[in-house]
Amino acid sequence: MDNVNILIIEDTAAESDKLVQVLKTNNYKVVGIAKTYKEALAAFYASDEKIDIVIIDIFLNGIPDGITFAETINAVPGETKPFVFLTSSTDRQIFERAKLTQPFNYLIKPFNEFEILYAIEMAVEKFYAQNDVFLSGEEDTVISSEYLFIKKGRGLKKVLISEIIYIEVEEKYCNIITEKEKFVILISLVKILDLLNNTNFCRTHRNFIVNTEKIMEIIPADNLILLSGNHKATLSDKYKDLIKKVRTLT
Amino acid sequence: MIKYKNPIFFLFVIISNLLFSQQKQEETALNKEIRVKSNQFIGEKNFKKAQFFFLQKEWDSTLVYTMKQISISNNTELIDYCFLFRGHSFNEKKLFEEAKQEFQKISKNFNFYLQIKMYLGNIAIEQKAFKKAISYFKEIEHLNVYQNLGLNQSSIEHNLGTSYLHLKEFGQAELYLLKSTKRQEMFKDTLRLIRSYGNVASMYYEQYKDKVAIPYFQKAYSLSKYVKDFDVKRRAVKNMAVVEENRKDFAKALVYRKEYERWNDSLNNQNRIYETAQIEKKIAVEQKQKQVTFLQAENKVKEAQNKVYLYSGVFLLFLLSVLFSSYKGKVKRNRIITTQKENLDELNATKDKLFSIVSHDLRSSVHALKTSNSALSESLVTKNFNVLEGLLQTNSAIVNGAYSLLDNLLHWALLQTKQSYFEIASMRLFFIVEQVAHNYKPLLLEKNISFENKVLKSDVVYADQESLKIILRNLVDNAIKFSNQNGAIKIYTRNKDAHIELVVEDRGFGMDEMTRLELLKETVLLSKKKNDGTIGTGLGLQLCKSMLKKNHGKLAIESELEKGTKMIISLPKNLQNG
Repeated sequence: MDNVNILIIEDTAAESDKLVQVLKTNNYKVVGIAKTYKEALAAFYASDEKIDIVIIDIFLNGIPDGITFAETINAVPGETKPFVFLTSSTDRQIFERAKLTQPFNYLIKPFNEFEILYAIEMAVEKFYAQNDVFLSGEEDTVISSEYLFIKKGRGLKKVLISEIIYIEVEEKYCNIITEKEKFVILISLVKILDLLNNTNFCRTHRNFIVNTEKIMEIIPADNLILLSGNHKATLSDKYKDLIKKVRTLT
Repeated sequence: MIKYKNPIFFLFVIISNLLFSQQKQEETALNKEIRVKSNQFIGEKNFKKAQFFFLQKEWDSTLVYTMKQISISNNTELIDYCFLFRGHSFNEKKLFEEAKQEFQKISKNFNFYLQIKMYLGNIAIEQKAFKKAISYFKEIEHLNVYQNLGLNQSSIEHNLGTSYLHLKEFGQAELYLLKSTKRQEMFKDTLRLIRSYGNVASMYYEQYKDKVAIPYFQKAYSLSKYVKDFDVKRRAVKNMAVVEENRKDFAKALVYRKEYERWNDSLNNQNRIYETAQIEKKIAVEQKQKQVTFLQAENKVKEAQNKVYLYSGVFLLFLLSVLFSSYKGKVKRNRIITTQKENLDELNATKDKLFSIVSHDLRSSVHALKTSNSALSESLVTKNFNVLEGLLQTNSAIVNGAYSLLDNLLHWALLQTKQSYFEIASMRLFFIVEQVAHNYKPLLLEKNISFENKVLKSDVVYADQESLKIILRNLVDNAIKFSNQNGAIKIYTRNKDAHIELVVEDRGFGMDEMTRLELLKETVLLSKKKNDGTIGTGLGLQLCKSMLKKNHGKLAIESELEKGTKMIISLPKNLQNG
């Protein structure tokens, strides 16, 4: 699991320091702190590391450039990311404008640790349109096209979907097996099956979902699939059609 | 032949003259009746005009207006009057045939039917239809005098006599003429008497009863000397002249002739005067007519003016009502303004009070900070580091209190001016409570108060995030403030049908019933706090109530002195309309 990358746009050092501290203690990775609109754009588009979430102070040097930034990144649908607005005023006009940059998340200064963490989770949920995941306590994973965002402790972690070898479903739990590690997430089967629709994942058994990219060998006689990293998955008769779909050396 | 011709000639004239004098008397009775009638038919404009002209003897105008009246009215009596007017008018104009026709149209029930007979009789004489005349007169001859309404019995008898005379029925003629003569002698009607004597004399004279006739002629002549009527004088004298001529007394005859000539001249003069008078009368009539048309025009102008007055009256009335309603509106507005002023005054007083309390509280907390700081620096100088931590904690407590007060003040101001962003969305109560409580961890720790958040993660309410946080902050702050050392605070929910009740329960001082009710009151006035040593204005709770109202929520308080308090807020589970 990787840390979630956060870009902070905040002109007051004291504020950003506090923010950085809170984020770090909760295993978030701050990839940059921008003080102006320009810096923010540069950091957002030119960062070496993929930015997952942006925290934006609305007022940069007295003007609501934060909103302008959000409007700018929202203009390119594929490039935009979840963001949280920070502000010390609840001025209605500013809020009405900020609200247009859907999905809209905000936090009033001063805020405490809980509030910022909550706001980040809300932003991710709303952005990927999977409401009430982290908050209901019944699930802990939000799926984007590239990553699984998983609640770990008070913070979020992410897993690159392409690195997943296979998923073993056990009731409402899923064992996720990647090259490096193995962990359990809480997610509904419906959502996991959604995942199957648009990626390389295939169902091989009631309980197995396999990344077809990671298949090393299929042994139909033993109902077995050998995966990279010496992992094995079961192939049931019902899903044997899979063989036709998978590129094989034969 | 000459002998006969002359008397007959003047007889005729006498009769026609009789008719005039007779009518004069008649008119007085008629006039009275007509005035009465015109009042009775006051609504009939044409009739009124007709009778006016009739009484003024303007015959042509009378004919015009009676015609108009007849054409529009169907009241028999009214029409009969009109026919009477017309008949009379034609008669006056000597258009006897037309007059007769008009009179004959009058119905038998008419008041003046008898007079009509008289008219018809006279007309018949004028037209020399003596037999017809006799039949008309006979009809009215024996009627009661009272019933005759101004009809002269002697005139009827005289006319009858005259008619018989013309028919040469001397027996009947003598009878009536003598009768009428007797009556006239009785009433001393000189003028008529002269004529009657003349007629009687003529009657006898025609029968060659000269001896009886001549005294009558003489009587007529002697009486004629006392009257001013030239015509009568002339006739009497002429009769005398004829008589003397026939008696071959030419000297006397010549004297009479001369007198006759004299009277004739006078009469001619009179006639000329009469003609001049007629012309003058005509001119006067024309002038009158002009006046009438002028009056009519004036009337029209007046009517137009009246219309103008009416419209302007209506307009003024309208204006008045508009003014009145606007005045009423003004009064109403003034009343509203007065009540608004009272409200504003009250609010202003509240604000002033709030100002004084807030500034007092801030001043005392800043002062406390000042003394604490000087103690702090003193400790630093004396290197008494043991007390430093305690002092710092005091400082932060003071600052926290002051901060929350300022925070409430700010939100209060924002709420009043409605400048703040407000959006109701679904909220998970558990996390809100967690976030709010997080700020109070140090305080709880300091007072060693145990805190439990027993809200379920599934409890969702619809509220505005920021205002919900403010409400919770105040409730938790209060709960800590009113808790003893080692107290306990518990937050949990109670699920109701449409609402979720969030309970903040402490085991602190509690409050009495009066305070409880005071706090729940819908007033903007702030209650003064007894709990000294802690900062507070009651503003917090007022803010909570206002914000809850905006969130469609409610506040309830359960409390027991020395046992603790439950502050209960209920919030809707679903989106409220509006």
